[in-house]
Amino acid sequence: MGKTRFNRRVSAFVAIATLGAMSLAACADTSGPGETTGGSTGDEVGDSAEREASTTIGDEPVTLTLAYTDDPPTQALVDGFTEVHPQVTIETQQTPFSDYVKTIKLAMSSDSPPDIAQYNPGAMNTLVPAGLILSLEPWKDAYGWEGSFPQASLEVLSSDDAAEQFGTGDLYAAPGALSVLGVFYNASILDEAGVSEVPATLADLEEAFAQVQDAGFDALSVGGLQVGGFHVWNALLNVLGDVHDYRDWVYGSPGASIENEAAAEATETLARWVEEGFIPSGANATADSDAQADFANGSSAFLVTGNWAASALEAELGEDVGFFLMPGPTGDTVNVASGASVAYAISAKTEHPDVAAAFLDYLSSPEAARIQFETGFMPVETEADLSADGLRADIATSFGGVVENNGIVPFPDFASPGMIDKLTPGIQGIISGSTTTDAFLGSLQESWDEHHG
Amino acid sequence: MAEVPATSTSSSRAGSARDGGSASSRTRRPGLGGRARRARGWLYVLPAVAVYAVFAIWPALSTLRLSFLTWDGVLPATSAGMDNYTRIFRDPALYEAILNSLVLIVFFSFIPVLIGLLMTALLIGRVRTGMTFFRVVFFLPQVLPLVAVGITWRWLYSDRGVLNQLLELVGLDGITRAWLGDYHLALIALGLIGTWCMSGLCMMLFLSGAQKIDTALYEAATLDGAGAVQQFRHVTLPGVRKEITIAGVITTIAALASFDLVFVTTNGGPAGQTNVPALLVYRLAFNEGNIGSASALAVVLTVIVIAIVSAIRFFAREGK
Repeated sequence: MGKTRFNRRVSAFVAIATLGAMSLAACADTSGPGETTGGSTGDEVGDSAEREASTTIGDEPVTLTLAYTDDPPTQALVDGFTEVHPQVTIETQQTPFSDYVKTIKLAMSSDSPPDIAQYNPGAMNTLVPAGLILSLEPWKDAYGWEGSFPQASLEVLSSDDAAEQFGTGDLYAAPGALSVLGVFYNASILDEAGVSEVPATLADLEEAFAQVQDAGFDALSVGGLQVGGFHVWNALLNVLGDVHDYRDWVYGSPGASIENEAAAEATETLARWVEEGFIPSGANATADSDAQADFANGSSAFLVTGNWAASALEAELGEDVGFFLMPGPTGDTVNVASGASVAYAISAKTEHPDVAAAFLDYLSSPEAARIQFETGFMPVETEADLSADGLRADIATSFGGVVENNGIVPFPDFASPGMIDKLTPGIQGIISGSTTTDAFLGSLQESWDEHHG
Repeated sequence: MAEVPATSTSSSRAGSARDGGSASSRTRRPGLGGRARRARGWLYVLPAVAVYAVFAIWPALSTLRLSFLTWDGVLPATSAGMDNYTRIFRDPALYEAILNSLVLIVFFSFIPVLIGLLMTALLIGRVRTGMTFFRVVFFLPQVLPLVAVGITWRWLYSDRGVLNQLLELVGLDGITRAWLGDYHLALIALGLIGTWCMSGLCMMLFLSGAQKIDTALYEAATLDGAGAVQQFRHVTLPGVRKEITIAGVITTIAALASFDLVFVTTNGGPAGQTNVPALLVYRLAFNEGNIGSASALAVVLTVIVIAIVSAIRFFAREGK
């Protein structure tokens, strides 16, 4: 009896210990952290900058591998590239988003990494100090990417050797498609509520909210359970704050802080929208997909999200759906909006860096622009003739102004690795009235200080 | 037979070792010594042990090792000493998360055991037809993947969900809300999903335990004039004592180590009101890339689970 009890205890212990370990087992692959290959210091980064870049790729058959998560646009862009260069074969490996960031770091540090990998500068920045991805400076100069890609979209992908401060140092990835955060509206609800024009100022927008509310609709659908809540805050901050202050903070410039007046005003505006009922009380329990569904089925008049939702919303609402950037306090044209890019980096271990770089260069071509636009993104080459109408035209027009003004800024969760876990609960606190503006902004800055301080 | 069911691998191991042993003892061949028999027993066990060692024991030990390292998943790991542990113990979020998971024990463990007992009392010895039906219906939540369960409940609980529609139907418009988004009620709403999941499991365990009870005991009790309540109290309840312990252990582990359900329903929200330790482990490891601290937290969680489960087993032990 004593012995079986002991055995039971032991097996219970092991089984329970496993529960805790299970979630981590995935990231601790068999090589373990001690034996991580290619884990060098930043020294190698300097070497790669002296690599010779060529803008021709030869006629020899070449096979590259490309790891990615976002489709569209990746597969279509790969197909477009190999059509232009039939001697190149690109084998693609797709991983669902939730697993991608976790597995790609290990894949890139293995002995046979993919030649090209979709790159997220926030979540994957350790690849830079580890020397696992190439500095693209030689190709940037050789191809003249400064002129062919929007400047702001390259800034986000540039960082110092330690990958702690962005918008400075070497370029590590090239953007393949762009997104922009804005406000979608349901034109037939606005008609019904007697809102005759697309709101041009924040005050107009709030008036429109009140009118659609009186007409029996929800003003805004907000996915407060996930990122929808802080996207509203972000859009407000974009128009209420100074773009340089915001950019310094997100890029991790020394001494930057989010505890400023503009951020407080954005937070209080959001709190007021909750109080007025513009943001539904159930927002905290609403997932982004649910908020989008509510908007698409005509329960609400407005939805703050990115252009990635455009094709789905167009399919549901047809000509009723339109898009504008969050309006500012004055009626001036808004030139600042948060956006991200589907970007690609090149492995430091690739045997064909020039071919891989040719793929990145292709992303800024007019042919690629058409593919990017058709797959629901904003094109990298903004001058391409896209002949769009309706919703796509709305988005393209808004986006064009932002790019011209160099006004694309990263999302705030970019500022530090743990930031998203401060933003979502913080905004939930504002929505439920349990967190003060100061406490919210303080928690953001705390995460920022921990990472950059 | 009071095996901890979470150790299904080990119980099957014990089972096969026992069978192997008894089989050879019955057909004891001359010249086959005890040692050879034991070796053959291990041979049977080997596949299970190998799988268990590679997929359970090894990762657990890795976690322990990682908890003393600073590692982001890419760069070479460096020794961290106890830094990871001091960091997580300084974070008030940990204590809130543990407190929340203790509240969840009430809903994942305590209430389901009570409901399971009630169902057992109602079903045992009385329901002759349709028993399979009841079993299937009540056990169904256990069979469904928790992620699907979570998403379904998120909709049931939502602003315009079925729950609120029902409340409006009976005139309770005043209390409708997005339950999982309510600052004060989210944890309870979440806990009730756990209750729904776990009650059927408890009932199944208790029913199987109660069916082992000699019917003569019930007859004797009836002859002595015991009513239904007394029969339950003096015959059924002692008969399922071990099953209650098992149910308590499984459901408590489910409460303390809950992750998937919380992840898909509230993801810790609103404003951290439903954070649980496993969620913090996940965020540290996969959002912040701080695998050392995540492992340390996982180790702490494991210790807490062992402590609480040991306590349950201690108090539920046979009084001998």
